[in-house]
Amino acid sequence: MSSPVSAIRPPLITGNKSYHDITEDLVVGTERTPSATWVIGFIIAVSLLGFGVFCIIWTIWHGIGTWNLNRTIGWGWDITNFVWWVGIGHAGTLISAILLLFRQKWRTGVNRAAEAMTIFAVMCAGLFPLIHMGRIWMAMFIFPYVNTRGPLWPNFNSPLLWDVFAISTYFTVSLLFWYTGLVPDFATVRDRAKGFRRKIYSFLSFGWTGSAKHWQRWESLSLILAGIATPLVLSVHTIVSFDFATSVIPGWHTTIFPPYFVAGAIFSGFAMVQTLMIITRKIMKLEDYITIEHIESMNKVIVATGMIVGVAYLTELFISWYSGYVYEQFAFFNRALGPYYWSYFGMMFCNVISPLFFFSKKLRRNIAFTFFMSILINIGMWFERFVIIATTLARDYLPSSWSFYVPTWVEIGIYLGTFGLFFTCYLIFVRVAPVVAIAEIKSILKSSGDQYAGGKTPPKREKIAPKVKAVASTGELITDDLKKIEGIGPKVEQALNAAGISTFSQLAEAKVDALQSILDNAEGNFRGNSPESWAAQAAIADKGDWDALKKLQDDLDGGRY
Amino acid sequence: MGATHTQVKIENFSMTKGLTTTLMVMIGIGVFSMGWTWMVDDEAHTRFWTNFLHNASFVTGISFTALFFLCVCITAWAGWVSLFKRMWEAMAQFLLPAFVLMGLLALVVYFGLGHNTLYHWADAKSVETDKILNGKSPFLNKNWYLFATLIIVGTWYFFARKMRSLSIDEDANGTMEFKHHHKMRVWAPAFLPIAGFSSAAIIWQWIMSLDAHWYSTMFAWYSGASWFVSMICTTILVLLYLKSRGYYSQVSDEHIHDLGKFLFAFSIFWTYLWFSQFMLIWYANVGEETGYFLIRMQEYPVLFWANLAINFILPFFVLMRNSTKRKIGSLTFAAVMVLFGHWLDFFLMIKPGALHTAHELAHHGDGHGAHAEGAHAFMTGFHLPGFLEIGTFIGFMGLFLLVFFMALAKAPLTPKNDPYIQESLHHHV
Repeated sequence: MSSPVSAIRPPLITGNKSYHDITEDLVVGTERTPSATWVIGFIIAVSLLGFGVFCIIWTIWHGIGTWNLNRTIGWGWDITNFVWWVGIGHAGTLISAILLLFRQKWRTGVNRAAEAMTIFAVMCAGLFPLIHMGRIWMAMFIFPYVNTRGPLWPNFNSPLLWDVFAISTYFTVSLLFWYTGLVPDFATVRDRAKGFRRKIYSFLSFGWTGSAKHWQRWESLSLILAGIATPLVLSVHTIVSFDFATSVIPGWHTTIFPPYFVAGAIFSGFAMVQTLMIITRKIMKLEDYITIEHIESMNKVIVATGMIVGVAYLTELFISWYSGYVYEQFAFFNRALGPYYWSYFGMMFCNVISPLFFFSKKLRRNIAFTFFMSILINIGMWFERFVIIATTLARDYLPSSWSFYVPTWVEIGIYLGTFGLFFTCYLIFVRVAPVVAIAEIKSILKSSGDQYAGGKTPPKREKIAPKVKAVASTGELITDDLKKIEGIGPKVEQALNAAGISTFSQLAEAKVDALQSILDNAEGNFRGNSPESWAAQAAIADKGDWDALKKLQDDLDGGRY
Repeated sequence: MGATHTQVKIENFSMTKGLTTTLMVMIGIGVFSMGWTWMVDDEAHTRFWTNFLHNASFVTGISFTALFFLCVCITAWAGWVSLFKRMWEAMAQFLLPAFVLMGLLALVVYFGLGHNTLYHWADAKSVETDKILNGKSPFLNKNWYLFATLIIVGTWYFFARKMRSLSIDEDANGTMEFKHHHKMRVWAPAFLPIAGFSSAAIIWQWIMSLDAHWYSTMFAWYSGASWFVSMICTTILVLLYLKSRGYYSQVSDEHIHDLGKFLFAFSIFWTYLWFSQFMLIWYANVGEETGYFLIRMQEYPVLFWANLAINFILPFFVLMRNSTKRKIGSLTFAAVMVLFGHWLDFFLMIKPGALHTAHELAHHGDGHGAHAEGAHAFMTGFHLPGFLEIGTFIGFMGLFLLVFFMALAKAPLTPKNDPYIQESLHHHV
């Protein structure tokens, strides 16, 4: 742990946290009762999900004709949404795998939630290829199994089939990666839980004991999974791009598609991580763990990938002219100046122009602006897929078959439904698992905690307890009933006694910081307890002026002023 | 905690007589080979000028990607490279000779010396009759070629100077507020988008336009990746050389290991781009595009498959293990082979198109597109590199290394006031 860290690197954990503080802060989200915000959010998410399920059933019951697809435009919102969601699912694995290989410490603050987001986004994406088949009961035809259809096998030459394998592999590896990280954290939750809850977390944590051997295996497994997942980050969206690029449709068949789709996916994935993390850190009070440095780092990834996407857009545009191939030229002319011009300019503005603002450090560190930008980029990346898919299909080789496409309420409903699915899963996730990876945050505390950052040696934690215990002339320990102080219950009293405070007079002399630190270091969760008024109360109690104490306590709120 | 603080060894590189002589001999071999090529060449000196373009653009690319990677490292707050990042600064200084070399070539194209056999679009007669070339003429023309070459390579050199001077000034006037480094953090990210857009534009002109009828949106990134891998190979080889001479003793196996990882990873990345470009063109089978690969697979099969074998299969299997990335023997072997492999890659990008153009122009009177007798006959220097090509390569590498070592000798090998220097000294994989 003695590798020096440059003083130029800002801390990644703020608030002078101890290991115990980290456990407390990060586990508490799974322990307290859900807040009103959570409940409202959950109700909205489940309602959307319900509406989505209704629309899917409607589609399957009445057939794919309930969508506005036609002979010319065979792919519309369905595949647009599919590609959009798959793209969003890229940030998680990038953060966990590639940033792990690049030894980026800031990944620890956001990797857990980003990986969860990946899994949920891929679930949403996976829905669309299934339901857009229309006859969903035929879905198993895509799998190569021993069948009764004679020599009829899935078409292995088709990128659509490669997609099935690519995405299911990606989903599996991401899930394993995510769960591997969760095992030690579930064990932490288990160790603090009681009863049935303990049994569940005990099961989930696979009998983790935290022995050196467990950690060693855990680390090798993480590295191996990172090694496997790194090519997957590239392969999944590469194969999604093949869905288009292997065709001979102008605007689809272009060789830059694979890396450009990957860059775009990371771009949109990070935008979605920003959207979620900015809300999550605020509501769950995780500002000490997902700091402005994390947000700025992600904004840098956004501006970098945005520039890559920009180079790709302009390359495509330029080469379409350069090719001298009239159909290619028309495809781009149509995108920019055809009936869907607004989606092309929306895409250009949101994905290429607006990320330029992130060249400014001030804007990168502005949370409200970042949030706004993350939404803008999510919209822009949706437009990108719409431009590629619907706009390009709408005007093909034959002007007589040109068409225009707007979605029906069913298509919109399914899209909204995927939001419902995504947020339902995410909201459940924040309740059952630590949103920030406890073990990984702890691993960087000594190098990136604000008390250590820049090679500082932190001041010793103040020894707070009075050294001499209060002893009566008879030699007996004097104890007062500290529970008479508002904000002190039996557990806190025990903690205070253990720290050597057993009388009102001792409590009256104790400093607030010192008391807070006793609470922080005690077994149990005392985040709700504030010691700010205890000394004042104790001073009155020491005089035995119970009326005055009662009067003061009437004004207090749980021991707070 | 108590972070260990180690003293940075500040040393200066000095050119030995032996090294200078070796490099001079290399340059001599190059000049001799080029002279010989000129003599045995066809009327238009196609072989000479393609060799010139091939090698000049190759070393230009190495110095450009060195600057690019330096700026990436600064932007990404990479600490481990601090000890030896001066090497990339010095490599980037080659952009000045690169400016002269590529400028010279652009002037040759501009004034139509020889018979303009290098680029089909530079032949006014062809452009008149050829609809495709005519359509591309707003971009593919002599004026723009010269202008863009000078402006773009000039801009790259400006940034190379800027990064270098900030870094050297930091040695003398560096503060604990890291003022210099903060300035670098402004210049480096500014360079990245410029590098992204300009490299694409210049690669289209220099290399893709040799096959003037053909186009591929991937091409710029593909050749850029090829440059990048070549740069990593060069870095590894030069670093190992310097270590063998007693310099950079604080650069440990850990740093070498990480450079090996970059070689491994970006060889795979290059293969990814190669595959994406090839597979999509092969799969879609659109007449406008397939010609490029068809001619290479049919008439250049050795190079076509050797390209994949040397640049993917070899580094993939040699560098897969941890230990081979840390051992000097295996790493040197891989780096030498892959450097040569990417030189072959550029050879294969450049020669077929140019040869085709030469045939077209030589038989212009026979009507457009007519293939001369013997168009498919094997020609050393086109279908496979001959000794003269190898000699030219040695000459250009000699020049590159001479400029590099001279630049390296001008400042201490390690920037002592770099904010990450202690991190780099204690780098652990």
